[in-house]
Amino acid sequence: MKSVFATLALTTALTIPGLAMARPVTLSTTLNNYRGDGAYLALYVTDASGAYVGSLWMAGGKSKYYQHLTDWYRATGGDPAQINGITGASVGAGRKLDITLDLADALFDAGYVLHIDAAVEDMRDSPNEIAVPLTTDGAGTPVRGRRYVADFTYDM
Amino acid sequence: MKTTLILLVSSTALAAVIGLPAWSSMRAPTGDHAQPVAISFDVIQDRLPFLFVSDDDDDHRRTTRYGDDDDDDDHGRRHDDDDDDCDDDDDNGCNRAGNPAPAGTVAPPQNGLFGNGAAPQVQVN
Repeated sequence: MKSVFATLALTTALTIPGLAMARPVTLSTTLNNYRGDGAYLALYVTDASGAYVGSLWMAGGKSKYYQHLTDWYRATGGDPAQINGITGASVGAGRKLDITLDLADALFDAGYVLHIDAAVEDMRDSPNEIAVPLTTDGAGTPVRGRRYVADFTYDM
Repeated sequence: MKTTLILLVSSTALAAVIGLPAWSSMRAPTGDHAQPVAISFDVIQDRLPFLFVSDDDDDHRRTTRYGDDDDDDDHGRRHDDDDDDCDDDDDNGCNRAGNPAPAGTVAPPQNGLFGNGAAPQVQVN
């Protein structure tokens, strides 16, 4: 009996930190009616010094267009390994993209910044369309984009 | 003494044989029949007939669909040189690195941003 309690306590102690280390976060991006083809969007994170940390999502599956997501491309060289398993379709004008990801808690309130680069065929590229610090206080607050993104929100 | 003389004569003859064409090629022609050796060779080459040869050495028509001679590297089906994105509809037009794996087919990258929990969910409205 005593050993059962000890085992339960140990498994609980091991499980709770694991649950607390990550949480589901919904990233919502609404596009303007810019009268063009579907937009390619790269969502990625930089640290407090501005260095690329990693990608969260890529909207658009053809790598030949990634060079137009200029800041993301400069940081990654267009490496598909950066976005394997986190790539979906491009997003049409006026549409809203909702992505729910299981993100590490360490991303918030630690100086990390979420960026969105946007590109539309035959239209101007828009690097750093969104740049929003990841903080718990900033959750749920819409941020306006520069060209193609009407607003962006992350909710926890 | 005799040997020395023979050597001098032979070396002079050798120098004359070797040096004459070079010397004459550096002289300007003084008449129609006094052309230097080099000019004579040029005239002979000028009289050779021109042969029409293909100007493309990268045109392997058996292995490529189109034998174009342009220097661009867009291997697209349509020739649209105004942009650099190939303009083709296939997935491998100029895609040297390959397309990424779509969400749901493989796990997200181990970049420290993701937990080990639920897979990404996406919805477009």
